Amino acid sequence: MAYFARRFVFFLGTLWAAVTLNFLIPRLQPGDPAEAIVSRLAGQSESVDPAQVQAVRIMLGAPDGNLFEQYLQYLGAVLHGDFGVSYTYFPYSVTHMIGQALPWTVILVGVTQIISFIVGTLLGTWAAYRRNSRVDSVITLGSTFLGTLPFFWLALLLIYVFAITLRWFPERGGYGGGSSPGWSWIFISDAFQHSVLPAVALLITGPIGWIIGMRNNMVQSLGEDHARLAVARGLPRRRIALTYGARIAILPNVTGFAIALGSVLGGTVLVETVFNYPGMGRLLLESVSSRDYPLMQAIFLFTTVGVLVANFLADLLYGFLDPRVRKAETA
Amino acid sequence: MKRSRLARIAAVAAAVALAASGCTGTEQKSGPGTDGRIAYLDYGDFGGGSNPQANYNPYLDASRLGATEYVFEQLITYDNYGCQAKPWLATEWTWTDPQTLVWKLRQGVKWNDGKPFSADDVAFTYDMLKQHKALDTKGIWRYLSAVEATDPQTVTMRFAQPGAAAFTLFGEIKIVPKHVWSAVGDPVTFPNPEKPVGTGPFTVKAFNPQQLTLGRNADYWQADKVKVDELRFHKADGGGQIDQLKLSRGEYDTNAMFVPDIKKAYVDRDPENNKYWFPSGGSISVYMNLTKAPFNDTAFRKALVPAFNRQEIVDKAQLGYVKPASQTGLVVPGQAEWLPKDIPSQGVAGYDAARADADLTAAGYPKNGAGKRVGKDGKPIAFSFRVPGAWTDWVQAQRIIVANLTSLGFTVRAETPTPEAYENDRAIGNYDMLLGVHGGSCNMFRNFQEPLASDQSAPIGKKAVSNFVRWTDPRTDQLIDTLRTATDEAGQKAAVADLTRVMTEQVPVIPLWYGAKWFQYRTAKATGWPSEENPYAAPSDNLLIITNLRPTGTNAK
Repeated sequence: MAYFARRFVFFLGTLWAAVTLNFLIPRLQPGDPAEAIVSRLAGQSESVDPAQVQAVRIMLGAPDGNLFEQYLQYLGAVLHGDFGVSYTYFPYSVTHMIGQALPWTVILVGVTQIISFIVGTLLGTWAAYRRNSRVDSVITLGSTFLGTLPFFWLALLLIYVFAITLRWFPERGGYGGGSSPGWSWIFISDAFQHSVLPAVALLITGPIGWIIGMRNNMVQSLGEDHARLAVARGLPRRRIALTYGARIAILPNVTGFAIALGSVLGGTVLVETVFNYPGMGRLLLESVSSRDYPLMQAIFLFTTVGVLVANFLADLLYGFLDPRVRKAETA
Repeated sequence: MKRSRLARIAAVAAAVALAASGCTGTEQKSGPGTDGRIAYLDYGDFGGGSNPQANYNPYLDASRLGATEYVFEQLITYDNYGCQAKPWLATEWTWTDPQTLVWKLRQGVKWNDGKPFSADDVAFTYDMLKQHKALDTKGIWRYLSAVEATDPQTVTMRFAQPGAAAFTLFGEIKIVPKHVWSAVGDPVTFPNPEKPVGTGPFTVKAFNPQQLTLGRNADYWQADKVKVDELRFHKADGGGQIDQLKLSRGEYDTNAMFVPDIKKAYVDRDPENNKYWFPSGGSISVYMNLTKAPFNDTAFRKALVPAFNRQEIVDKAQLGYVKPASQTGLVVPGQAEWLPKDIPSQGVAGYDAARADADLTAAGYPKNGAGKRVGKDGKPIAFSFRVPGAWTDWVQAQRIIVANLTSLGFTVRAETPTPEAYENDRAIGNYDMLLGVHGGSCNMFRNFQEPLASDQSAPIGKKAVSNFVRWTDPRTDQLIDTLRTATDEAGQKAAVADLTRVMTEQVPVIPLWYGAKWFQYRTAKATGWPSEENPYAAPSDNLLIITNLRPTGTNAK
């Protein structure tokens, strides 16, 4: 029990630090959001109207009190789930904006992460089971090669071939202009079509890390004494590989997977930008580039909390799966 | 293991099949609509960020959607190219004295919910901006003191001081219906999301974050002039590659975006229909920190005017899309009628390095034995010249400017900070030389007050509002004040003429080129777009343009 309690205290401490940093970092950045908004509206070649800057400054409102009072207010608001009003989407609230973007990211990135993990772990296990065979070389070399390709290049290539040249799939967006979001077949099939290219892009590169990690862990665990003993005792190869190799080798990947799932909330900035996908990643990029502090803070906070919770759950699961860890910490 | 690979192949195959089956597009046929009208036109972006929300509050400039331009109207509409005021919701206006302006409103105008439009709505709108400063994006209540509905067709505006100079600002306020907005708790946080009520030619028909569709308002007061049944705006990726591709395929009837090599990428794809017009916007000028030597010396600045190769900047850094700027601070030829007659070539300086060299030497800045230009203290003149590193066309221009200055013997450090650092340093006066934008609007008072008035400046280290070069000159302030309180156009023109002389003789800034207003249009479905041959409006004057469009093949007007 002490192991779990310690993990929990550690989790709370990190969470507090994350929330505090999240409060401080935007306030340390230079620049006036009102000016940024107006100069973005005016564009690079038009003069900025000081009257407009003044109006926007009044619209956004100035924070009251000193930094410490602001910090207390911020903590209180966050506890109540109130993240304020977005600057770029004024007067819509940050919660409203995140609520719109979240499903896109959770479905696209979530599904591809899970598929990537399963496919990657299976391929990695297979490569390690048949290590030094042709299958192993194809899997290992193939994924190393794919891993060296720049992701955005791969994504642009997909758009060029399948959207622009062949016109099989739409080139960008989460859905077309003709259908409106809702539970209608037209919309769902439209959204599905739009999700194919980004999903393929994520699935090409997604499993690579899991393949390499799984293969290396498993090759190592198959070389350990207990596995050699099993070979000496004449157990079937397949059983050795699965119960003596894979079961131990998968442990580090479980933690990795939990963290990957947690960071889904932050979106995949690159894929969402290239495909203009209406998810969290693009929202984050936009909020950073237009200094939409309330939105930026909320997305960072969601991401941090997501990773922390996932990490905490992974820790718990790890302690459960691997008694050695639990014992080592209590000893 | 085999199963996993098979499953994967099957999944991909199923996905491809599903997607392909759903891909049979339902392209709507385009053709003439009912009664010789155009069924629909495809427009470009409609604002509101990458994930736009229904927001038809016409005063929330940062987040409102482009539809507000077509739903709401104002008392007058400016042709922002020729700077002419057109009667709109008001049919006439008279200054009964320099501080009182009386508007006669158009008869028979209705809100799109059927209620009549009256002077009460106008007075309510202006009062709302008085009470909620966040909505007063043009700062009109700096000048106004009261707005009253004298009778249902008459509105009287009173000013604290003679108000003619601010005319372009307060005439173009979007008027909202009192019967809707008076029931709104806080108009600042009111997104007006459902069926916005306005007097304009279009109403909101459908909206989702990818597409905004406007439908023609059949009861519009000049409905006979609106020949388009539907406008479809499409969410864009900020002028990226895919948008350029769609433009070149002819998927937009009009758009406003930067396109590299527009002739090849757009016009040549369909020379008959694909057209563009890039009229001039604000002046992009060399800003010198006038608190530092040698920039505080008028003779030095004046000698620099012919030192820059404006044509090379226009051709190489701006792809020939723009024009060299006039030293007068005005946009020529659009505002040429404001120029004093005796200014040669509309004030556009040619490139003459030899003259710059001779003038600098005569002003006491000779070259030394090593070919370096020296200051009055005898030391070589060295300074930095900054542009934001992310603005690639400005960086190109920077190369040419630095080369021009270097050939005159100056030692120039080219620096490329981030836009944020750039704007901040410019505001607090922490620079030697950089580029700034000013002017270009139809409001002559703004055009000169913002870059040159001493009350827009601040001491070094404090943020200046807009006078970043820190030009403080009592005569300039006096001229700006004359312009502000001038009661008629003759008085305004005299003040503007004198201000253009300040620009040419004392050279507070050195204009190099005009920023372009991007505008592409297709004549396949509609004609009557503003163009270089027929510049009746600027590309952003939506109400003027939409009431001038005609189906292709019919005679114009």
